[in-house]
Amino acid sequence: MAEPGVVFDGVWKKFHRGEQHDSLRDLLPALGRRLLRGETPKGLQESEFWALRDVSFKVAPGQALGVIGANGAGKSTVLKLLTRILRPTRGHCQVTGRVGALIEIAAGFHPDLTGRENVFLQGAIMGMRQTDIARKFSDIVDFGGVGDFIDTPVKRYSSGMNARLGFAIAAHLDPDVLLIDEVLSVGDASFQDRCVSRMRELVSRGIPLVFISHNLPAVADLCSRVIVLDRGQLMYDGSPDEAIQHYRLASTTAATSEPDPSAPIWITAVQLLDESRQPASVFQTDAPMTVRVFYATRESLEATVHIDIFRADGIRCVGFNNFMDHRPLGPLQGPGYVDVAISRLSLLPGCYAASVWILDEHAVQVHQQLLNAFPFSVAPGQPGLGVLHVPREWSAHSTAPTSFAARAGAAQVDAVTVGSLE
Amino acid sequence: MTFTQTLREMVAEQLDYRELLVQMVRRDLALRYKQSVMGFGWAIFMPLVNTIVFSVVFTRVAPIDVDVPYPLYAFCGFLFWNFFASSLRFAVVALTSNLTLVTKVFFPREILSFVALIVCAVDLAVASVVLLGLMIYYRVPPSPFLLLLPVVFVVQLSFTTGMALFVSMGNLFYRDVKYLFEVLLTVWMFATSVIYPVERVGGAIGLAMRLNPMTGILDAYRAVLFHNRPPDAMFFGWAAVVSLLTLIVAWWTFHEAEFRFAESI
Repeated sequence: MAEPGVVFDGVWKKFHRGEQHDSLRDLLPALGRRLLRGETPKGLQESEFWALRDVSFKVAPGQALGVIGANGAGKSTVLKLLTRILRPTRGHCQVTGRVGALIEIAAGFHPDLTGRENVFLQGAIMGMRQTDIARKFSDIVDFGGVGDFIDTPVKRYSSGMNARLGFAIAAHLDPDVLLIDEVLSVGDASFQDRCVSRMRELVSRGIPLVFISHNLPAVADLCSRVIVLDRGQLMYDGSPDEAIQHYRLASTTAATSEPDPSAPIWITAVQLLDESRQPASVFQTDAPMTVRVFYATRESLEATVHIDIFRADGIRCVGFNNFMDHRPLGPLQGPGYVDVAISRLSLLPGCYAASVWILDEHAVQVHQQLLNAFPFSVAPGQPGLGVLHVPREWSAHSTAPTSFAARAGAAQVDAVTVGSLE
Repeated sequence: MTFTQTLREMVAEQLDYRELLVQMVRRDLALRYKQSVMGFGWAIFMPLVNTIVFSVVFTRVAPIDVDVPYPLYAFCGFLFWNFFASSLRFAVVALTSNLTLVTKVFFPREILSFVALIVCAVDLAVASVVLLGLMIYYRVPPSPFLLLLPVVFVVQLSFTTGMALFVSMGNLFYRDVKYLFEVLLTVWMFATSVIYPVERVGGAIGLAMRLNPMTGILDAYRAVLFHNRPPDAMFFGWAAVVSLLTLIVAWWTFHEAEFRFAESI
């Protein structure tokens, strides 16, 4: 057999919108129409739509591919095609090897059966051999943290226990290819950590993984490559950070309001400028950045400019406006621009986007908002975890009695500077 | 893909997933015990009550001659008819009551219908004990043609499996199939030699009733069980051919339509 992997080659998938004929009452007229019209049209009928349009990608062994996109972008359709539940309308979709899918993980559970009975049933549904399940049974129970409740009917389980047991079975599948759909949303933090480390372990063993999720930090964390789907089309294929940025931009363009035609002031353009006052999209940690907001006005007025900087995973790193800073801009008469000079951009390397709002002078009424409309990145180089770069100095101190130090002949030094990091 | 390749794929799939079949049968049998007081008692109770009711009607109110004691005739009829009818009753909702499985997990969906059949076959086995008791009570001598019993059963099994696949698929695409099918079952029972020999009807209608495969099958059971003779060559032969064709066409259609199930729900 060829080495395990996933191939998605020019896949199109057509779906019917809304109800098809679910009852014979609807079927008979439909059949009549079809007979009168003859052959069914090959293309797209009124009630049909393309859930996927010409999507291609490959996943090699040891690669973890993330799939992100808004609701209805076609993520679940991709997964169902990969698990052979659906067949593509056009194109070719192939998964080599045994597929382990973690989809709605407790789907096969029967409420009246005990945890033990359900483990064997669910395992069989996922295609595991009974002997394998028996061998891994205690691991599965441990992983799921179900413990003494294993012989209790699952209808008495908490929803968390239910989901944990479901994932525990799937996690012990030993598949050739692993598909995961939004499973990290269940369980408490420690269980989620266990899941992620289990997935990592599978990937490091060379198993190709497809991870479909809305949990962007988890995708960024686990996947080496990410594709973004947008209304059935492949919008981006590349590094997680870039992909997440694309996705966030795509998902927020809808939030960008057109200027209210009656608004007295509106934004015409926004530029992010570097040290040399040149428009840029890549910045350095702790380097200056200037946000230049171009505006036009109907009449001379007082206004507030508000700026937010979001990281790609949605965290608001910083937000400020000239109203909270007590820096009135004076009457604005457009066209013109407002500069906000940030002397030190203390952000760690990563993808970010600026949002710009324009409000009335008391920062109450919004004239216009451009959410996450201005992406930029901070170049790699500065080490650290989290969002901010905090300038720091390290030193080691001895608190042993000074007589000891004196006896040892050491100079009276309290602090030894080990190094500093600016 | 050629027809034989498809057939091979269908069988290979079943072999691959045989443990799932076992697990699902075990689940349904376990649930039967957990949820009802009488458990398998129901398997005996239903045909027994029916037999008593119709024995009163056809021995006291409107006596008919059926060559064997009427209770024996009727119980045998109900026993094997119930296997057919209740298999289909379970099968018709087999796909629709497992919607989450059908839309989320890949496995050969035929299994859901097969499970319904096997569970009903267990009921049949349990209730057969009563038939055996009745045969001893009425002193029916054992005949060498009893050896043909498995053949008759295989024919019934193929016909029932084929029909089960059809109705489960039908109900998935059109939910009225379930109701239509209930009506059909009632009519079908009276068009089959369950409680009276349909050859008495005569004419074109009588012939149609005899060509109904279930009549050929039930009469074949009675021939080998009670009458010490082989099944009727013409009508049982016809039933066997129809049954085999039903099974092949139904399974093949099911297999080809399987990929549309998840999106049709």
